[in-house]
Amino acid sequence: MVVVEDELSLVFSALADPTRRAILARLALGEATVNQLAEPFDMTQQAVSKHLKVLEQARLISRTRAAQSRPCVLETVRLDAAAEWIERHRRVWADRHDRLAEHLAALRPRDDEEKAE
Amino acid sequence: MTDTGELTYRRVHAASPELLFDCMTDPEHLAHFWGPAGMTTPVENIVVDLRPGGVFETTMVNDADGSTHTMRAVYGEIRRPSLLEWVEADVQGGMRTRVTFTDLGDGRTEVVTHQTNVPEAYRSAQARAGFATSLDRFEHYLSTLDSKRR
Repeated sequence: MVVVEDELSLVFSALADPTRRAILARLALGEATVNQLAEPFDMTQQAVSKHLKVLEQARLISRTRAAQSRPCVLETVRLDAAAEWIERHRRVWADRHDRLAEHLAALRPRDDEEKAE
Repeated sequence: MTDTGELTYRRVHAASPELLFDCMTDPEHLAHFWGPAGMTTPVENIVVDLRPGGVFETTMVNDADGSTHTMRAVYGEIRRPSLLEWVEADVQGGMRTRVTFTDLGDGRTEVVTHQTNVPEAYRSAQARAGFATSLDRFEHYLSTLDSKRR
């Protein structure tokens, strides 16, 4: 999966807000209308709509065209991309430390001197 | 990914914090392990200006096709041998990497790498915890998706 880094920026900054994360968690259970989403948050519909707009821009959600109520649906592709990005970074560091351990083992004979340079 | 999903990486090495700090900041050392897998980073491709605001640049070379990938960062806080920080301005709106070295007192050192990439997410510890939580949820959510896809 090739992801334009900028899209990930949008995803991660959308995720930086607790309300938006809560909205996503709610949508993970199934689609919901703005009304339904506003209910548990003690927020105005306008405030919720603002958050939805950010989530929509990050393509973490989409809204169906057909119905009058335009329920929101979680978009999984971007979530996959975010998770994949995290996993990729984890692998880079794991490998880096594997090699560092090998390097340290090679250095060990002069380790006592504490002068690595 | 079964654990937190937070961008934290922990590793224990049999070496002093001083040596590990030097390994992370001396091009001669970095060239041995900076990688990642399938790539090498020749010593002449590494720039280390070890002071706050100084440059940290590495150009990794793909072993298979010779293509290169450059990481550009600027050092933040530096406290030898306990803390090293750099920020990659080009990546996802300023990815910040903090590496801490903790002496375990038995000849071993714990190295913890904590990465945050969204300014809002690393401004407060609270936000950081929340960010991790959200990723937990996603992992959980993704695992339910995976089973659905089958």
